[in-house]
Amino acid sequence: MSSRRSRSRQSGVSSITDDQINDLVSKLHQLLPEIRDRRSDKVSSAKVLQETCNYIRSLHREVDDLSVRLSELLATTDISGDQAAIIRSLLM
Amino acid sequence: MLSLISKTIHLCNLSLLFRFYNFSHILFKEEGYRKMSGSSTLKKEFLKKWVLGLQICSSSTKKMNFLERSKAIKLSADVAMASAKDCRTSWSRALITNALKQDEDKIIVRNILGTDFEKLTKSSFVSEMFSRRVGSKKILRRSCTLRRIKKGAAKRVLASSIAKRLVKKRTQVLKGLVPGGESMDQFSLLKETLDYILSLQAQIDVMQRLANASEISNYK
Repeated sequence: MSSRRSRSRQSGVSSITDDQINDLVSKLHQLLPEIRDRRSDKVSSAKVLQETCNYIRSLHREVDDLSVRLSELLATTDISGDQAAIIRSLLM
Repeated sequence: MLSLISKTIHLCNLSLLFRFYNFSHILFKEEGYRKMSGSSTLKKEFLKKWVLGLQICSSSTKKMNFLERSKAIKLSADVAMASAKDCRTSWSRALITNALKQDEDKIIVRNILGTDFEKLTKSSFVSEMFSRRVGSKKILRRSCTLRRIKKGAAKRVLASSIAKRLVKKRTQVLKGLVPGGESMDQFSLLKETLDYILSLQAQIDVMQRLANASEISNYK
């Protein structure tokens, strides 16, 4: 884990602490689907970043697949202005 | 209210609408027990705006082929999610700014954003100006650690410099994935990534429910 940063060099640049960054990394870690089973306190940020990138890529792929699927399904049924207004009012 | 809806359904002859009504109730129920009640409001906002985009897709279906329509659906979903965040986050602003760069996509974006369009186009220029500063503080580390060649410390230093290089490399990859990530420092990038992932999960959830509902109604 990249915690060997010398504080003296950092303090002039910004007030963001290592702890804040570690906190964010552990939150990201919790979002990731694969590592949810084993709760390990020590997480390597490099691994978390790699898993995050893979996860975002898989989410993008899923959005694309869903768009293709919806494109087929919605070809037959159009959404007109009235129906859209009704849907919106149902959601108010 | 219920009789009005059933009359409308009858007139439109579209069971899809009925499924929508059901599934918006499902959204209410299932999200109730979750800690973050914000996600169900986000999903509702997203759906409201997405429907606007889908309307445009269906009104010009005759001109669009299959691929164009799927791209338009994806675009309206992305823009709807970004706008549902009220453009409070950096990635949502970047996403919309990128979408506005393509001329053919502008109509969809304009319709989804509605009144927010004017506000956003003015403020996005301001945010682009400020985001030019690049976080370069992480690069200092590498040159300083390589000079120390003490025996005992050598292994530790090597391991930590490798770890830092890995982190730096993967941060670069992440910057390419998150919209607007290139001009963020590491801290903001991590925050934006968290929010981006949560929004993507919500977006996928709503899109899946709509796809499932449409399938059910289409094959009845």
